Amino acid sequence: MRTTILKPLAIVVLCAGLVWIWVSKAPPGSVSSGGIPAPQTGFQAPDFELVSLDGELFRLSELRGRPALVNFWASWCVPCRSEMPALERVYQKYRDQGFLILAVNATHQDDLDKARAFTAELGLSFPTLLDQTGEVSKLYQVRALPSSFFIDARGVIQDVIIGGPMAEALLAIRVEQLLEGKR
Amino acid sequence: MLPTLQVGPAALQTSGLILLVGLWLGLTLAERFAPLRQVSASQVYNLFMTALLAGLIGGRLAYALRYPAAFAQSPLSLISPNPGLFSLTDGLIVALLAAWIYAYRKQMPLWAALDAFTPFFMVLLIAVGLAHTASGAAFGSETTLPWGIELWGAARHPSQIYETLAAAAILLVLLPQRKAIADLPPGAYFLAFVSLSAAARLFLEAFRGDSLLLPGGLRLAQIIAWLVLAAALYGFSRLARDR
Repeated sequence: MRTTILKPLAIVVLCAGLVWIWVSKAPPGSVSSGGIPAPQTGFQAPDFELVSLDGELFRLSELRGRPALVNFWASWCVPCRSEMPALERVYQKYRDQGFLILAVNATHQDDLDKARAFTAELGLSFPTLLDQTGEVSKLYQVRALPSSFFIDARGVIQDVIIGGPMAEALLAIRVEQLLEGKR
Repeated sequence: MLPTLQVGPAALQTSGLILLVGLWLGLTLAERFAPLRQVSASQVYNLFMTALLAGLIGGRLAYALRYPAAFAQSPLSLISPNPGLFSLTDGLIVALLAAWIYAYRKQMPLWAALDAFTPFFMVLLIAVGLAHTASGAAFGSETTLPWGIELWGAARHPSQIYETLAAAAILLVLLPQRKAIADLPPGAYFLAFVSLSAAARLFLEAFRGDSLLLPGGLRLAQIIAWLVLAAALYGFSRLARDR
């Protein structure tokens, strides 16, 4: 292409670019997730209500103000079993700072007795919630176990980790980031 | 959207698989293309592997240095396959540095090497678009247009499909021109790719729902794309003038 044509063409393209940047400015509320609940980073964590192994009722929205990890698991899932001890250690370390783990057992595709035996064997101290119908797994679009959702104190999902086992350092760093956001 | 592929007990991240295939296809294409720019296929392969390994190690070490306490408590995490324990920006900087050192030591001419790698970048751009489509990341803003897709609780622009189509269009425009580059000054092919990619990003960012915003609603990625486009067009005009 001849240089004489190239220069004016470049100027026209760059001017058009500047106009486009101005025209396509984001109107308030058009960008980012806002208040929409969806199982994706940056969105509000979809609310749910489940009963724990101890029969206690937990509603996610009532835990607002506390950073939380919602971890979907099943007793037959090898990576889920592998990461549970690290989850327990991290929970013990940060629970006094308000951090909470909700271990949602995919009971609709698990054996309740085996799930109960597994939590007892490891002595898990965080609540294990029972997703008997699979509705919460569906709400969070869980396609693989384990799936972990790191939720900040405002109820916004800050990170999603699909698959496992998660490294303990990864867990600790994500929890510290959630707690830093709370401070 | 297909974020994971369940293969037996393993849940494979579809986006990661797509990127791996993209890297392989792009590298294969670059190896075939490189001799047109007097760069050997083995040099392309070695430079890529050097940058990849350095980037992977550098990205992990940089992340560990940022959180030394967490890694001191769990040193095995340093070799964990979790991609979350990785600093992408630092990894890219280390990869580029390693690539530059390799090219310098092998006396590879910079512009010719960038031309040689252009098909790799073109394929990688398509792979990134497909990976976003699979994971639902880089999602679009809400729309009432008939081709809007239901994603993350709203009907949205299929921004991932836009970016994939734009990347495919750039490949279709530039790849047939690869034989003609023998007549062009070194760097022209790469700068043409950078110009088109930056222009595409500048245009398509307007339809994203996850843009980083500056005061007044300006989108940061558009400003960066405009600056890259300006630099590429300036470089292009310099090459044409010096010719």
